[in-house]
Amino acid sequence: METNIKSKTLDEFKTITGTMINPAVQEWKDNGGKVIGYFCCNIPDEVMTAAGILPLRLRGTGSTGTELSDAFYSSINCSFPRHVFNMALNHEFDILDGLIVPNSCDHIRRIYDNWLRQLDIGFLEMFNLPRKVEEPQVQWYKDEVHLLVEKLEKQFGVEITEEKLKNAIKLHNENRRLLKQIYELRKVDNPPITGGQMIAVIVAGTAIPRDKYNEMLKELLEDLKGAEGIKDHRARLMVLGGILDDPEYMDILEDQGGLVVTDSICFGTRLFWTEVSEEGDPYEAIARYQIQQRPTCPRSYGDQPKRAQYLLDMIKEFKVDGVIGERLLFCDSWVVEHYMNDQDLKEAGVPFLKLDREYILSGKGQLRTRVQAFLEMLGGK
Amino acid sequence: MIVGGCDIGSTTGKAVIMKDGEIIASTIIPSTTKPEETARMAMDEALKQADLSSIDDLDYIVGTGYGRLKVQFAKENISEISCHARGAHWMSPTVRTVVDIGGQDCKVMSISDEGKVVEFVMNDRCAAGTGRFFEGMARVLHCGLDGISSLENQGAEPSTITSQCSVFAESEVVTLINEGSDLKNIIAGINNSVSGRLNSMVRKVGLVEDVALTGGCAKNAGLAKALEKHLKVSVKQLPHDPQIAGAVGAALIAVEKAAG
Amino acid sequence: MDNTDLSTLGRKEVLEKSLTRYRKERDWFQMFLDALSMMPELSEEDILQQKMLTILLESKQTVLDCAENNKPFIAGYFCNAPEVFHAMDLPWYMLMETPFLAASAPYLADDIKGTEEIGLGSDLCTAIRLPIYYIETGQMPIPSAVLGLIYPCDGAPMLHQVMMHNKAWKDVPVYAADPPYTSDERAIDYFADELKRMAEFLQKHTGHSLDMKRLAQVCEDGNKTYSKWQEYNELRRAVPCPHGWSIGGPQAFAVSQCFVAGDPKCTDWFEQLVKCAEIRVNAGEGIPGVKERIRYFWFDIMPYGWIFELMPWLEEEWGAILTMDMFGNYPYTLIDTSSEEKIWKGLAKRNLIDAPMIRQARGTAENFSNDIRRIVKDYKIDCVIWPGHMGHKDGSAAGGIMRQTCRELDVPFLQIGLDLFDRAYTNPDEVKDKISKFFTSMGLG
Repeated sequence: METNIKSKTLDEFKTITGTMINPAVQEWKDNGGKVIGYFCCNIPDEVMTAAGILPLRLRGTGSTGTELSDAFYSSINCSFPRHVFNMALNHEFDILDGLIVPNSCDHIRRIYDNWLRQLDIGFLEMFNLPRKVEEPQVQWYKDEVHLLVEKLEKQFGVEITEEKLKNAIKLHNENRRLLKQIYELRKVDNPPITGGQMIAVIVAGTAIPRDKYNEMLKELLEDLKGAEGIKDHRARLMVLGGILDDPEYMDILEDQGGLVVTDSICFGTRLFWTEVSEEGDPYEAIARYQIQQRPTCPRSYGDQPKRAQYLLDMIKEFKVDGVIGERLLFCDSWVVEHYMNDQDLKEAGVPFLKLDREYILSGKGQLRTRVQAFLEMLGGK
Repeated sequence: MIVGGCDIGSTTGKAVIMKDGEIIASTIIPSTTKPEETARMAMDEALKQADLSSIDDLDYIVGTGYGRLKVQFAKENISEISCHARGAHWMSPTVRTVVDIGGQDCKVMSISDEGKVVEFVMNDRCAAGTGRFFEGMARVLHCGLDGISSLENQGAEPSTITSQCSVFAESEVVTLINEGSDLKNIIAGINNSVSGRLNSMVRKVGLVEDVALTGGCAKNAGLAKALEKHLKVSVKQLPHDPQIAGAVGAALIAVEKAAG
Repeated sequence: MDNTDLSTLGRKEVLEKSLTRYRKERDWFQMFLDALSMMPELSEEDILQQKMLTILLESKQTVLDCAENNKPFIAGYFCNAPEVFHAMDLPWYMLMETPFLAASAPYLADDIKGTEEIGLGSDLCTAIRLPIYYIETGQMPIPSAVLGLIYPCDGAPMLHQVMMHNKAWKDVPVYAADPPYTSDERAIDYFADELKRMAEFLQKHTGHSLDMKRLAQVCEDGNKTYSKWQEYNELRRAVPCPHGWSIGGPQAFAVSQCFVAGDPKCTDWFEQLVKCAEIRVNAGEGIPGVKERIRYFWFDIMPYGWIFELMPWLEEEWGAILTMDMFGNYPYTLIDTSSEEKIWKGLAKRNLIDAPMIRQARGTAENFSNDIRRIVKDYKIDCVIWPGHMGHKDGSAAGGIMRQTCRELDVPFLQIGLDLFDRAYTNPDEVKDKISKFFTSMGLG
């Protein structure tokens, strides 16, 4: 499914998302800038921006295999870290000046251990996340941000003042606000943008300087406001799951006539649905945002009822006809979350399709068949 | 001294007879449903080839392979890992890394200059990268095993096949066929994906040259070529049939055993 | 599978159903105990068994009594500082009991099938899938409160989230201490505070209160237990090793932390354990009828779902002795009871850093390699086996690191890839074949 929208900015987003070291990263480096890689939604990337460092969220885009990383990982491990680490072993991330790894899940946290032993990088840090979402966890996270700031200051000879941090928060909040404005446009009967296009926009925001991103988002918003909406879709879908950064995967879901109008995925609304408070202690604000205010993924313990409610609210707000749950194989978090979602959605009378997948798109034929059958079941034309 | 080595695998049975350090007979036959029978048949044929009238003419026999416990005439059984290492080392003493691809599993051994196994890894539960995997693919592609191994069939732009699991990999190939991908590229893609897995296993034990391929799939020229590309070193050509390396190793061990 | 619709049952029926399995388990223990008492003469090992069964049976009976008579009891996981609720005289059962006991029961295969039928993927850890299945099908006693565990793997927190999501369990309050990823002072302080909040939670929801003097006493008693355990582990260093897979680590763990904690009964059991080992070590003997040829370190739980198909074979076929395993090796730090603060810190350290599996899998992979280094040296280990349980994904992602460590130590390393519960995942014969190849190729045995 394609929109009629002609947007140079959208094409630019696609180019950025289609590769790991995009032109903006290269340009940043050429101008003497530093780049730090990181994973997941739960790293405070504002801190890097405040330090004048470009935060680049790592993906396995463009990876062709896992043969080097499989010497360290095993076949019961998720394909995402295996592809990413394979690229690292292939020296495709040599451009990085540092890497921050959160203990998000059993697979991602071991990137730290293996990277530490196999590759040289000047700055390699674990960001130690708590699991619960209560007050002591906010404080723990806050301390972690302080520790990270100290380490960055020492390593890169920069000073990260509270003011710089507050400015970075404002800048990143603007990213969030603009993205949300685009989502507003998806609530209408004929949204101007597809899910595949949207994912390209969101991924790009984790890979370029955030001020540049704001400019691009504003341009895109202008283009979208003037665009003719999509009319040929037969159902409105929501995608629910984990690390999905591939526009082509979304395209395949949408090729069968379903239009993705919203989501709760790692490169989706969970990144920007709420904002960091711009008042008071910025450390506290970031910590509270990350632990309590941002929509969480299943690794956050005790937050499941809130997540379930978020899902139902999204369905209502965006007039969703059916939900597609995608999960990377071997993910113990999402398999159980989807199991509970399945029960909740049955009760709410919303059709739900669960799909397991590998990080790099494969088995397109089977995927198409399943999605097509789901749409037929939804009772579309 | 005349000794025998008998390697009973899941798809073929191999027997070798050696006399004073030289191979005087070697046979490869398809496995039957009874490993003891496969062993007997392979050895009988080898005896005939060596002009020997009875199994009693052999001073010592060692059995190896998946069916090694069923080689009733063997005085001892030794794992095929040790045997392939010994066999490959005998065939080419400079070999330090042996990649053995059998019918239902594959192993990579790192060996010492004496041909002893220093470290090894096996494939896990999955059949991808084994003879059985190639057979499944040949069936889906209607091209036979020769079609997969032929160098002429290795397309210039190998298709991407990412699944670890042979069942899923097969369905990926079916998708590629339906999408109208070039068959040669699919074939190259299959060899490419198996080479990738083998490369991981080699990295686990550490890559040391020379590298040799043994086992039935060692005859897959397309695979050997793809593996060289992945390992970035060339694969040593063995002067004997790589499929009998395990049986040769068993015979060599038999010499030692006979000498006490 | 069990597909009774729980919502159609009355309160009493739900309770009855939830106790069926539990009663069955109690009856087994009773049966084994009866069988032992019928024997004309008991060996020291029989006495050891008898003491353990008595402890287990008593714990089961107490929980049943509470459930049947509406008295407060809790469900816990391991590494929840059981000293605390033992000091509160709060009866409890461990949520993993049922899956582990099912492992030697005829219904395990059906239960595993059931987990898939209710929609849990087959790549989800069986040790998580099974308890979810028991909760969802109403086969676990519903307690007054739950103490969950949100480490060492991604699966554990999900199990508790299902519990909170389940309709029959929805009103049961749940508390889980949040595990920091690091092991420094800051982490211990943080975790100690989490444990204090756990005690508050228990007091609030069960009506049982915590007397710090009593807790100090429990910790003192626990110290005696752990000192004995240390003594026992020293005996396992002997060549030949006095015990193999069937006596030692896992039982020691169960007795000291899963059914009762910080109690003279535990210490008494450990004294008997030491006695059994001492007799053999003093006589220079190993396991009767087995000539020790290989000392292996089994770096995980044993495959309880098919344990009898593998572990005895290792001894009989190869003279391979499980000299140490993941649950048996840990030198627990004794708890300093001189102040309340020190007690909490001591408990935090024990449950965060000392206890098995949590110790290795919670933090960075260094924890795996350090254990390998220490155990290989202390116990004269000939080879290290990482079974690679399909649920231990962080561990398998550290497989390369473990292999490297073993290479540095010049000790062979084997990674298998199996399921501790489901024998169909990797057939026991295949596992045996892999192990045989490993032993022969490495010149062991």
